[in-house]
Amino acid sequence: MVAPRRFVGVLPALGVVLIWAFLAAFLVYPLVRIFYDAFSDETGRLTLVNFVEFAGDHFYRRSLVNSLLLGLGTVAATSVLGFAIALLLVRYDFPGRNLFGYLTLIPIISPPLVGVLGFTFILGRAGTVNVLLEDWLGLARPINFVYGVHGVLLVETLHLFPMITLNVVDALAKIDPALEEAAESVGARGWRKLRTITLPLTTPGYVAGALLVFIWTFSDFATPLVLGVHDLLASQAYLNIVQFVDRRLFRMGIVISALMVVLAVVFLVAARRYVAIKDYSSLSYSRVPRRRLAWPGQVAAVAFLASVMALSFVPYLGVALASVGKGWSLTPFPVQYTGAYFERVIVETPKYVINSFLYSTLAVVVCIAVGVPMAWILARTRLPGRETLDALNTLILAIPGTAIGIAYVRAFHFDVPWLDVRLTSLWLILPIVLAIRRLPYTVRGSFASLLLVPRSLEEAAASVGARGLRSFADVTLPLIWRGVLVGSLFSFMTSLQEASAVLFLSLGGWETIPVGIFAFYIAGSANEAAALGVILILVAAVSVIVINRVAGARMGGMFG
Amino acid sequence: MSLDIADGELFTLLGPSGCGKTTLLRVIAGFHAPDGGEIHFGRRRVDGLPPYERNIGMVFQNYALWPHMTVRGNVTYGLRLRKLGAAEIGRRLTAGLAKVNLTGLEDRYPGQLSGGQQQRVALARALVLNPDILLLDEPLSNLDAKIRVQVRSEIRTLQQDLGITTVYVTHDQEEALSLSDRVAVMRDGHVQQVATPRTLYERPANRFVADFVGTNNFIPGICKEQTGAAAVVETALGPLRALRVADAPAVPAGERCVLAIRPENIALDAAGVDGIEGRVRLSAYLGSTLRYEIETAPGLVLRVDVRDPSRHEALPPGRAVRLGVPASAALMLRDE
Repeated sequence: MVAPRRFVGVLPALGVVLIWAFLAAFLVYPLVRIFYDAFSDETGRLTLVNFVEFAGDHFYRRSLVNSLLLGLGTVAATSVLGFAIALLLVRYDFPGRNLFGYLTLIPIISPPLVGVLGFTFILGRAGTVNVLLEDWLGLARPINFVYGVHGVLLVETLHLFPMITLNVVDALAKIDPALEEAAESVGARGWRKLRTITLPLTTPGYVAGALLVFIWTFSDFATPLVLGVHDLLASQAYLNIVQFVDRRLFRMGIVISALMVVLAVVFLVAARRYVAIKDYSSLSYSRVPRRRLAWPGQVAAVAFLASVMALSFVPYLGVALASVGKGWSLTPFPVQYTGAYFERVIVETPKYVINSFLYSTLAVVVCIAVGVPMAWILARTRLPGRETLDALNTLILAIPGTAIGIAYVRAFHFDVPWLDVRLTSLWLILPIVLAIRRLPYTVRGSFASLLLVPRSLEEAAASVGARGLRSFADVTLPLIWRGVLVGSLFSFMTSLQEASAVLFLSLGGWETIPVGIFAFYIAGSANEAAALGVILILVAAVSVIVINRVAGARMGGMFG
Repeated sequence: MSLDIADGELFTLLGPSGCGKTTLLRVIAGFHAPDGGEIHFGRRRVDGLPPYERNIGMVFQNYALWPHMTVRGNVTYGLRLRKLGAAEIGRRLTAGLAKVNLTGLEDRYPGQLSGGQQQRVALARALVLNPDILLLDEPLSNLDAKIRVQVRSEIRTLQQDLGITTVYVTHDQEEALSLSDRVAVMRDGHVQQVATPRTLYERPANRFVADFVGTNNFIPGICKEQTGAAAVVETALGPLRALRVADAPAVPAGERCVLAIRPENIALDAAGVDGIEGRVRLSAYLGSTLRYEIETAPGLVLRVDVRDPSRHEALPPGRAVRLGVPASAALMLRDE
């Protein structure tokens, strides 16, 4: 009998066209381009020969298997850790519970690249722990704590377990206590209730977190390279691309990144399918009451949490010491302290900090300009193509930064018509790639808050005389700005930390802080790298504190 | 469908959920475009106009108060959009809040108000614009039962004082009967009957209306003869004399039909010898009435109300009784 009102007017239509154009040019086209490259030979003919070559190469096959195993292993390790911590925090009461709740955020603050550096300073061959062991126990040869796949697993686990914790905490809070009471009423208690009722109910949140952990580990090349692990897909993609000598190897790098995109998408779709049939969240105002632990339980809980937090604190300690420590070798701690490294990376060569802030700020401006209208389209309209828009937004989360970086190198390395300039030789490409990479956080933050604003609030404004944009500005925006701010801050923070995509595109003079860290570390100037790392951590810490204040400690929704 | 709503009338759209009553209200408001047809407010044609050009006042089901604005902010928002002077806005705010008895609460936020107060702010927000027509979408459904009755009469009194044309949507038939001038009963997007509350209750046009409005007993049967308004229907309880509702479609002799009889119109006689035989199955004490379920023929249970139960000792289950059905209270309707 009735049709929903559609939007009318030239300006909104133009806006929609611009959003689509932006996504088509800077997301779809580059991806299509590397797939074309992966399926064609030097002369441009379509062929499967690249994949045949990949499959025939023993080393690549091993890298693929290693990457999958590492990803699954990290998911398993983070799940155990993440679930245990989430359950303790939500369901039990013990001294320091609130404090530990905040401390679980700490690992996220440190960008992975900085985290791995910190680990090497403390747990490396000549790190604090080994030196102490040699001094005290007369250890002849240093223990290899971190170099190798086990080190990658350790570093990734300690960095990523909060993704699981945050999502599971969120999911646990949404469980209607009646569901568990019903289980108890029919006799399910303790472990049985936990295993058959509570844990299954957290599935949607958990799967989202686990997927993110997997894709993150799967596509991270900086951590393995610093720890000397080369036989992983992401490492191979990076190494093959950055050498510009052998065209065969270069093409294999592209093939690998195309393969990574496909695998990531497959896992994403599988996870979505799985979660789609399992939405258990209920709008429940009551909560399962916390249980006070008996004293042995309290001791065990505090000891467990304290040791996990201490381990995740290791990289901060390492980076902080290295950033001010002079002549730190063969001693457990630096013997002299200096501000020279900070001076070098801030005063003498300010480009790292300036570039990082400039690019990330521009990226966030783009994120807001594109992301807020996108969220509005998704939440409020029935425009055709909405599902595609939503899928693209989710796709971005799944695509490895490595693959996006490589895709941009391939896609924009030609003269733009009429301008006679390559996009890859303009620094603007960096804010653009950052904006694309971090767009989902802004969209999700805005979308989630839009869903909380009933449409009737806007209709009420329309009924008393507010037209289109007026009701958005007066009613919608004041109610969603927190969500937009949280999403944008998250986009900003993660833009500052972005290493993978930027490393491929950065040219001389455009270096951001993560690029600087990588370059300094590779060149053997670990202290300068550490100083830059400290700056990055401080900025991230401030962002997280602000986000927490604004969002009320509900960061779980930002992931997955 | 075609509906004509008179000036100053309180017109209710009544129906079960999903019958299209809210959709129809939103078409009037301008939030939905009709597939076809025209809407006029007086001589002004408004379909095709956006909501803000129709000069409506709307009260939403969940009130839709803007949580980030105070009562003052909510009520004066539309006035400010109309660029009225500060003095005029202040005057209308004061008058508007006085109408709904909320004077003094200007600086509260919606979250600091009770449900009934929020409801009245929503009403004030709609009224200060001096709308041509007031649209109310289930305005009482979020209130407690006790407050609901109170606010119901407040709305009716206010509407009559202001003489404002009002369209009211509800699924609660008691609400519809108690405050409307006229009611349109809707089902599956179609209007079943448009009538005053009294006609609706006493002379329902079809079985759906008879069933939805108030409580009714239905006795299936076959129309034996029909002369003018009087009819005789053959039922499981024997031939019963009935009345044909003038508005309802005719039932030719020999066709299947149902008799609709209100519980309060059935006379219960514990000692009598005339009337329909039955046996008490259940009695329920409702305060102002005592409701019996009487099993007459196998499978046919009639509900019978006895008023003033304080003067009547409840009959035990199993007790044999006789029922009397006056011809004027048994309505013959087409079987649907």
